[in-house]
Amino acid sequence: MVLSLIAATAGNVDAGKAIALALGIGLGSLGAGIGIGNIFGSMIQAVARQPELRGELQGIQWLGFALTEAVVFYGLIGGLLAYVLI
Amino acid sequence: MRRALVTASMLALALPQAAFAKGEFDPSEEFEQHAWVSIHIGSLDLSITKAVAYLMLGSVLTMLIGVTLMRARAGRAQALGEQIYEVAQTQVAEQGLPSKGIARWFPYVATLMLFIFVVNLIGFIPLPLSDEKWHGLPTLGIYAATSSLSVTLALALLTFFFTHFEGIRWNGPVRYFKSWIPEVPKALLPLIIPLEVLGQFMRLISLSVRLFANMLAGHMLILTFIGLMFVLESTVLAIVAIPAATAFYLFEVIIVVGIQAFIFAALSAIYIGSAIEPEH
Repeated sequence: MVLSLIAATAGNVDAGKAIALALGIGLGSLGAGIGIGNIFGSMIQAVARQPELRGELQGIQWLGFALTEAVVFYGLIGGLLAYVLI
Repeated sequence: MRRALVTASMLALALPQAAFAKGEFDPSEEFEQHAWVSIHIGSLDLSITKAVAYLMLGSVLTMLIGVTLMRARAGRAQALGEQIYEVAQTQVAEQGLPSKGIARWFPYVATLMLFIFVVNLIGFIPLPLSDEKWHGLPTLGIYAATSSLSVTLALALLTFFFTHFEGIRWNGPVRYFKSWIPEVPKALLPLIIPLEVLGQFMRLISLSVRLFANMLAGHMLILTFIGLMFVLESTVLAIVAIPAATAFYLFEVIIVVGIQAFIFAALSAIYIGSAIEPEH
């Protein structure tokens, strides 16, 4: 699919850049999505097992959420840099 | 009161400044800096731009919130002040800072949290602080000072310098820099030492880029969805664009604004704490 897209847009630099940016961010969000799912899944399990620890776990949960979510934005910034520079 | 506020902000979102500017609309133009008051000292450019104006407003509001909420004697203001204080105390400072450093560094991390929260939040309130003019009056616009890398990098540099300053002050330079290097076989040291030194500087990048990219992407999403109507010049798109932009707006205001302020302060506390008390 990727190859056919590249073939279809051969010679059109802007289209190629747009596809590369979209693909890069899409794949980046895939990883972060899995990570965020893991964090909240583990949080649900932990609270189900030991509800009294909820308060303590919440801080760690949001820390983990933000750290994982930020990975998408590193990808976005990298993609935008590549888009602007090339 | 709260319902009126929500309605007002939604109406303001539905009528963005782009509605007054016919034709071309480019969301990235919203993040350009134009000097409003030009101040040059030598080669230093200290001009007052949109980001500077937002920062000034944010600083004043932070001070006002600090003074009014923390000194409130009774009622809702006191309860809110205590809540903010408790989050800063138990979730941020005590998680990262050792007990011997907490008295000195609690004010810094608490201020950092409140300041970033306020600056992020005023970025989502449409304010007449924009470059475009409509009949001589500045149009309403949303822009966060933290969506400029210079602002977040300055905040990250503060934490970076405080970290190493405290590490050297408490442990002495030799013991502190030795604590960076983990215990590994001697043959691996030439590989590990550059990586660990690089890691210290990567903190600077990750701390600043996380906040900057989050706020930039949030504003971009909202502006792009609203701007789509003007780029494609069809008002039918409003059926999709306005609910989508409102959803992202609410997500940003309710979750991202608070989380990013919390994360920045919590990581600063952890970095400073780990420099005061290295593990080995």
